[in-house]
Amino acid sequence: MIYLYNILLVLVLLVPGRQVAECSPGTQSTDTSNVPEVVDVDYEELQSVIESYRGKKAVLLNVWATWCGPCVEELPYLRKLQEEYPDKLQVVLLSADLRSDRSRVAPFLKERGVDWKTYYKAGDNQRFLNQLSKQWSGALPFTKIIDRKGKVVGQWQGSASFDKFEKHVNKALEE
Amino acid sequence: MVVAVLTLFVGIGWVSSGLNANEDPIEPLVIGAKAPMVDLKVRSVSGDEFSLQQIAESNGLLVMFSCNTCPYVKAWEDRYPEIYNLSIKNDIGMIALNPNEAYRNKGDGFSDMKKRAGEKKYKFPYALDRHHKLADAFGATRTPEVFLFNKNMKLVYHGAIDDNYESAENVQKPYLKNAIKNLAAGKKIDPSSTKSLGCSIKRGE
Repeated sequence: MIYLYNILLVLVLLVPGRQVAECSPGTQSTDTSNVPEVVDVDYEELQSVIESYRGKKAVLLNVWATWCGPCVEELPYLRKLQEEYPDKLQVVLLSADLRSDRSRVAPFLKERGVDWKTYYKAGDNQRFLNQLSKQWSGALPFTKIIDRKGKVVGQWQGSASFDKFEKHVNKALEE
Repeated sequence: MVVAVLTLFVGIGWVSSGLNANEDPIEPLVIGAKAPMVDLKVRSVSGDEFSLQQIAESNGLLVMFSCNTCPYVKAWEDRYPEIYNLSIKNDIGMIALNPNEAYRNKGDGFSDMKKRAGEKKYKFPYALDRHHKLADAFGATRTPEVFLFNKNMKLVYHGAIDDNYESAENVQKPYLKNAIKNLAAGKKIDPSSTKSLGCSIKRGE
């Protein structure tokens, strides 16, 4: 009887704890398969990344953070678009998390099915803010969509619906 | 079961947070613009009600849109007392406003604000911007975001507190402090407008 009680106690204490840990945002997983690479970039390096797709793919740049509710809400939309247009569109995710949260970014994205290379904002903040877009005040999230010729076809701060993303992506893909 | 409950809880939070989607760009006050809605009364965590006009001192007014739930606010917040002291020393009134209407049940409610003001020993009024009326009138987009007005209640500085939210020790450009000092000294404020990373204001419906 005591033996059974002990087994039940262990199950009660351990099993839910494991489940909580598995679904908590930011939990470090030991499974490293499909964890997206997160690369530190300053403004110039980010521009180089975007430029590397010129003539090949449209680019959807999205500045986000793990703690930003509206940003996280958009991740499934962005993942869906990346999956729909793997050869025509590149979704470039740029995390603006605090440096202390830098290590959370990759596992957080993995839990949400993002398995492609992403980026972390490093370098001079003011340079990023001033150069990335005149229309961006610094509020998260921020999105900029660029066609294959390098023309900006849409940009906005604040969250957007899937339809809004898709509309602008389709416009970028027309070029 | 635990997974399901947590997923539901987190999911509700994210869905709700998306209500602030705004298709139209928000235009902030331009430098030189008069402070809007200066007679609107807002309720501070002290229980008192103030208008912006009542908070203003002889050299002007500092309005800071802030909140409880934004990591950028938390990163900058320990600099608030110093900013308040500098403002008062230079005869500039200061008030912090919480416009996050969609997060009143998620950490930005009045009782949460009272608790935060107590913990952080705010000496300045921290008030509810109900239905983000002032944030809308100012064209504020994020927290934290500051608007500094002169004695005629004309905007002289808008934007960031400084250039480094991660570290107060490593600030290179204390934009707001410089603006306060220059305003009081009657000197030119340059830059008069800066950008800063911030959490989008959770306007809701």
